[in-house]
Amino acid sequence: MTLLAVDGLCSGYGSLQVLFGVSLSVGEGEVVALMGSNGAGKTTTLRTVTGLLRATAGSVILDGHHVTGTAPERLVDHGVVMVPEGRGMLRELTVSENLALGAYTVRDKAQVAAALDRAYTTFPILFERKEQKAGTLSGGQQQMLALGRALMASPRLMLVDEASMGLSPVMTERAFSLIAEVNRTLGVAVLLVEQNVLALDLAHRAYVLEKGQVVASAEGADVRTMQGQLREAYLGVSA
Amino acid sequence: MLGEVVVGLAIGSAYSMLAVAVVLVYSSTRVLSLAAGEIGAFALYAGLHWHEDGLLGWHPTVLEAGLIAVLLGGALGLLVERVVMRPLVGRPPLDGLVATLAVALFLALLELALYGIDPFAAPSPVGDGSFDVFGSTLTAPEITLLLLAAGVAGGLWLFLTRTRFGLATRATTSDPTVARLLGVKVNRVYVFAWGTAGLLAGAAAALLAPIQGSLTPFSLTTALLSALAGAVIGGLDSLGGAIVGSLLVGVVNGVVGSRVDPTTSAGVVFAGVLAVLLLRPQGLLGSTRATA
Amino acid sequence: MRRRELPSRLGLLLALVAALVAPLFLGVAQTSYVTTALTLGIVALGLDVLVGTTGQLSLAHAALYGVGCYAALGVGTRGLVWPLAFLTAVVAGAAVAVVVGLPSLRIRGLQVAIATLAFQVFAQQIPSKWAGVKSVGQPFERPSYLVDETHFYYLTIGCVALVMAVLAALRRTRGGRVLLAVRDVEARAAAFGIATGPAKLFAYGVSGGIAGLGGAVFALQQTGVNDTTPFILRNSLLLIAIVVVGGARSPLGILVAALLVQALPPILGSDFDILGKPAEQVLPATLALLLLVSVVQQPRGIGGVLRDLGAKLTDTGERPSPRPAPTDAVASAARARDLRDVPRPLKHRLPTPSLLVAKAVSVRYGGVQALVDLDLEVRRSEIVGLIGANGAGKSTFFNAVSGLAPTTGSIRYRDSELLALPAASRSARGVARTFQDMGLVRSDTVRENVLLAQTWIAAYPAVAGLLALGGSVGTERELRRRADEALELFGLTHLAEERLGDLPYGTMRIVEIAAAVASGPDLLLLDEASAGLTPDEAHALGDRFQALRDELGLTLVVIEHHVPLIARTCDYCYCLESGALIAQGTPAEVVAQPRVVESFLGRGTLEEVPA
Repeated sequence: MTLLAVDGLCSGYGSLQVLFGVSLSVGEGEVVALMGSNGAGKTTTLRTVTGLLRATAGSVILDGHHVTGTAPERLVDHGVVMVPEGRGMLRELTVSENLALGAYTVRDKAQVAAALDRAYTTFPILFERKEQKAGTLSGGQQQMLALGRALMASPRLMLVDEASMGLSPVMTERAFSLIAEVNRTLGVAVLLVEQNVLALDLAHRAYVLEKGQVVASAEGADVRTMQGQLREAYLGVSA
Repeated sequence: MLGEVVVGLAIGSAYSMLAVAVVLVYSSTRVLSLAAGEIGAFALYAGLHWHEDGLLGWHPTVLEAGLIAVLLGGALGLLVERVVMRPLVGRPPLDGLVATLAVALFLALLELALYGIDPFAAPSPVGDGSFDVFGSTLTAPEITLLLLAAGVAGGLWLFLTRTRFGLATRATTSDPTVARLLGVKVNRVYVFAWGTAGLLAGAAAALLAPIQGSLTPFSLTTALLSALAGAVIGGLDSLGGAIVGSLLVGVVNGVVGSRVDPTTSAGVVFAGVLAVLLLRPQGLLGSTRATA
Repeated sequence: MRRRELPSRLGLLLALVAALVAPLFLGVAQTSYVTTALTLGIVALGLDVLVGTTGQLSLAHAALYGVGCYAALGVGTRGLVWPLAFLTAVVAGAAVAVVVGLPSLRIRGLQVAIATLAFQVFAQQIPSKWAGVKSVGQPFERPSYLVDETHFYYLTIGCVALVMAVLAALRRTRGGRVLLAVRDVEARAAAFGIATGPAKLFAYGVSGGIAGLGGAVFALQQTGVNDTTPFILRNSLLLIAIVVVGGARSPLGILVAALLVQALPPILGSDFDILGKPAEQVLPATLALLLLVSVVQQPRGIGGVLRDLGAKLTDTGERPSPRPAPTDAVASAARARDLRDVPRPLKHRLPTPSLLVAKAVSVRYGGVQALVDLDLEVRRSEIVGLIGANGAGKSTFFNAVSGLAPTTGSIRYRDSELLALPAASRSARGVARTFQDMGLVRSDTVRENVLLAQTWIAAYPAVAGLLALGGSVGTERELRRRADEALELFGLTHLAEERLGDLPYGTMRIVEIAAAVASGPDLLLLDEASAGLTPDEAHALGDRFQALRDELGLTLVVIEHHVPLIARTCDYCYCLESGALIAQGTPAEVVAQPRVVESFLGRGTLEEVPA
């Protein structure tokens, strides 16, 4: 069951075209990695999929519905959440307020309370600091808050933009294993946009993005062999 | 002296309502609105005119005219948001500022065209009672302003910290893109900001005009400028700062204005604004984000 | 005369003729309304120098109008001749405006607008306190030949023409050219040799001087001013309205707008009624509505309408191809030699083996350490590559060299310490750079941008440029010649008059390189020159790097994400991570190092699954 189908997506900023026909898909319960070096167009892809950036061509189909060009505000209603680049902390608001906003579109108070409970249980450190302003948390704690907030609305698909950015290698591994666990236990599909090759470890399928186009893809066991292709793409050197 | 301070606080309360109007709009949209003064003035003109000439057989009392001014101010705010500011989303903030200047200019010139340049009598909507305080006289509008401003400050604080939509507003102020991704309909936040700003402008106009004696085109924009000075000194993205700053400016205008003269008082405020802009641009209570 | 300029020249001519014959159709009273409107128009033209060109929103211009008026009155009512009064007004206006502009050296945008607003509010109170400023009882006498309203009108037209000539000189010389850069790319203007502080103050001064002139004309027309109504905040707003409705940087449009706002209501006022009220009262509101519509819909004002009309009339339907044209190798070599000939003292041209030596360079932004203790060397005639993952500090290093980042340590260029030089002076020493996101002024033409990059060569005082004094004319001619050479070298001549922002991204990047080369550098820093280029363009870029080194004798430092490009073109390579150097050597050596691989792909490798 395909949750997200992107076909021939083109977009850019003014006269600068960044995406030249990106096609990919994410199925229910899958972890899909979109790998690429800087300037490849990874963040632009996510911004176009979420509607923050207007697509000049191509389509985005979410759960069977055409959502190309839909306002980002409607995404949560479709069960899609995004953890933006830099984690998107609302710095002046407290941890608990950030979490509450994660469930902004959830009407049922009991559901919200249950989601909050779940978040605090999964991330006890957030409970400890729930009255603290989000801007004062460390990078790793912010990553947890970002994930916790993303899960508050019980999404079916999570878009994660460069979770490893600004994190130490240890924290990066931690973040990835958290995402993998979320996928395993809650069945949330994940589109993981990353530069770091460790992301391949938790991916069921992977794509390599280079200069605005998908140049390679793999699934299952082949995913790990993409490492060599990545080396070629990033450094121009065969493994 | 203390009495003068209290009177200054009352005037400062009017400024603080205008300042809150400006800061509400600025913190959520990053646009500095200089239209608040004339929005309130135009609404009051309409209300008072209605009171004098009647419409469809109904002659509202002065109090009712004041309430009409408040509601009309809100409606005008909503109209400006929809017709002028919404199309400008995404354009640089200075374009927004020029747009609000255009709105202020348009409304003031419209007032001129419809009601002429002669001062328009502005009776007090809350009667003419007065109160002696520390040697100075506090009139009914002034007392109302003090109470109203306190109420507005308290109400807004409760709204922003205790309600769901208030939280959404604070999220939009912090980061509109992230707020959108969380499902917040930021357009509604903009509508709320402008509508509330309009209501506050109408209320400030209704109570300030009787204190000044009459209503003329641009007289409320002059008051708005003092409010703006207060907001800049307090911090353009801090509601608390806006209130504190405006009260301060009100007291300075009240004390220096009556003891020395209005020009010196304007000079002091000007120096204060300049000092803040150069030494601490985010204002006394603002965050560094304010200086975008 | 180029085809493009024909409509505007024609328009000016038509306007001049209309202005000269107008009194034949207008009565005395109407002529004086037009004169008053023109004085406001003059102030608006002055305001446009700040708002339209330099991007400074001034809400103080009604006050500056008043400064000019009262200065002229102060001199004129004491019996001195009117030209002297006018001169005093210009100087006073300029001086006060420079003071008003001082905060803009520290603050920007919105805050500048607020500061000018505060000044306006403060200044408009002064005349009521300072009676002596208004008059000494005598009126400002008009000489006999100016008593007639029509003669006075012609004087005003003369003043308008003078202002337009100054504005034209501004656009043609360095003083005015750099203002657009201050408006659009202020943070990086220093890399082009532009000292933004003096440029801004110059703009304020010119703007204030022009406003002062308007005030002086008004003073002589009224022969005495009794109330401050023309100089209050409302008129500051009206002036902004005139500039916006007229069109930023469109002098004719602004004058038309001023006439609409100030002359039309009284001329029509007594004769017409709109909706039961005299036109005089209703028209201003209608015009404010027009302003509102202008701002929201974002047309380019009356001037824009006129320009579009002119363009339609001269449009041949041909558009030049937006890509660079192929160039002739022999001619290129000659041009290249020519561009190397710059007025730089010999001691700054010595052929030292190490062109750039950076030692212990650190950059700290707030709480973030962007560069840590970097040591780097660039040898003469090398192409050096700088690579690293996101946030590694590569652009930060360029910013350190350009003077756009707070830097400690030492960066020696030849034998001078760059860090001891102000940012705007480094371009003169021979260091030029490009920016990751194209640092030129998109709203200007290709040629203008190439002229902008050569600012350090235009070393004459800005005021001299305005008056076409001294070496300014010769220097400007030289700059233009160099610009044309650089455009030829890169095959861009056919695009010289095109607006930069209208060109495809790849072409814009080439223009950026052409502009950098035009400034006659010895060291060229290219930041992500391949970003946004198609694979073919990126490949051609690599060839271009080598051409720049071989034909132009340049030394290059190149930042690239696309590592294969580095591998193909660079002699030496440095790899950064999180602000620190982690590897250096030939590209092949660097790319093979595990530390570098890890930096790009992440720590640790996954076990290879056997095929």
